[in-house]
Amino acid sequence: MSVRRPFEYIGEAIRGGLDWAGGISLLLGRSLIRGVQRPWGIYDVFSQIVALGIRSLPLSTLMGVFVGMALTWQFGEALMSFGAKNAVGSAAALALVRELVPTLMALTIGAKIATGVTAELGSMKVSEQIDAIASLGADPIKKLVWPRLVASTVTLPLLNIYGNVLALIGGALIADVVFDVPAEYFYETYIDELYPMDYISGLVKSFTFGLLVGLIGCYQGFQTKFGTEAVGISTTNTVVATSVAIIVFDFVLTTIFLPVG
Amino acid sequence: MAPIIELRNVYKRFGDNVIYEDMSFAVEAGETFTIIGGSGMGKSVCLKLMIGLLPYEAGHVLYRGKEVGEMDAENLRELRRNVAMVFQGGALFDSMSVFDNVTYALREHTKMSDQEMLERARECLDMVGLGYDKEILYRMPASLSGGMRKRAALARSIAIKPEVILYDEPTTGLDPANIERIGHMIRKLQKELGVTSIVVTHDMPIAWNCSNRVAMLWQRKFPYIGTPAEIQANPAPEVHEFINGIYHEDQD
Repeated sequence: MSVRRPFEYIGEAIRGGLDWAGGISLLLGRSLIRGVQRPWGIYDVFSQIVALGIRSLPLSTLMGVFVGMALTWQFGEALMSFGAKNAVGSAAALALVRELVPTLMALTIGAKIATGVTAELGSMKVSEQIDAIASLGADPIKKLVWPRLVASTVTLPLLNIYGNVLALIGGALIADVVFDVPAEYFYETYIDELYPMDYISGLVKSFTFGLLVGLIGCYQGFQTKFGTEAVGISTTNTVVATSVAIIVFDFVLTTIFLPVG
Repeated sequence: MAPIIELRNVYKRFGDNVIYEDMSFAVEAGETFTIIGGSGMGKSVCLKLMIGLLPYEAGHVLYRGKEVGEMDAENLRELRRNVAMVFQGGALFDSMSVFDNVTYALREHTKMSDQEMLERARECLDMVGLGYDKEILYRMPASLSGGMRKRAALARSIAIKPEVILYDEPTTGLDPANIERIGHMIRKLQKELGVTSIVVTHDMPIAWNCSNRVAMLWQRKFPYIGTPAEIQANPAPEVHEFINGIYHEDQD
């Protein structure tokens, strides 16, 4: 019995993981099939872009500026000891555009979006509002999942672009004020270091993270059981699932893009 | 005449919890059919099976002879155009005004103009006794009392003029006057519009005064179905004890 126990746990964990991945894939498939059918629900999609994206602007602003400043400071300190502080723009550019801005943006803004979606849909599930939508002849996937999925997939790349600009400004500020590297020079070396594929890899990452964030948020919301406690459990699970998915997919996409870059 | 809704030898379970075992009953068009039974036995599940909100393991759930479990999206949409459900807690959409809630099905199924929808919404709110509040259309559900939410939900379900309305405990949490109002409305919809009503309730006066037939859920099926008078006269101890609220201390 005691020998079997660990194997049972492992088996259950694998089955749970497969169930989850299967459920997520099914939800994605259904959303794509029903989403592209008329009516397209453009109003719902734009409402969600406002709800998920525009309202994330303050946090994105903070994120972008401070990541740019912190990373430039770190690189500046390291490069100064080699007498190469002028290369701080080149050093910061790749790390920020390819990796830090898309990933940190997804981990913070993405987690905020996903938990918000889970909490909203979970509360609707608990109070039978999702059943009510279906009972009124509408499709809950079309009405609830599709707009959130599109909005998060569109929003994160846009916020990524916005975050990149602010990270550049934050980095230029630190380079100028702390390391006496002129902001214009920082800007030129920063931009010179970047090739189109660097921007594309960052955008592909944030597009993927946006899709994952929307999917996980909606799936966990729909999976909410009964009672208000269940909403809390679903929301916690969303944070964990979103973070793990972002970290794993970040690594996968990095391995795909690095040889190309 | 063929029944409008029929459940035949239905099996339903949630994991290890068996809800229905070989359960059958049929509802005739135009009648008010009330389902009674202990809490947590699965009365609401029965309503959700009827409109395809829950799947069933075996048996047949038929709407006008068509298998609900085999309906495609378009047929289910049509079914739900004709069979409306009033949920236990109202299930009003929190993010929408009362007007948007009440006219939700009209937007989904019809091409009515805003003015027509406004008139229909007012008419429905009048029917459920909320017409006195001129501002109610623009209020959000969070600002309504429990009873008002329930009545607004009722208005939402009748807006599309369905032929069948499923009521999941429509009077729970309402004051006596509003309970009587709901009972009156169920009778009025049946009498004037020929609406078929299937009511899940614990409210015995509603069951006796509104129903053509009453069915009691007992041990995962409906062994007791009859007119209110027949159910009240049923000698089975479980029926007698349930409808009279008899409680035995040794049952604890």
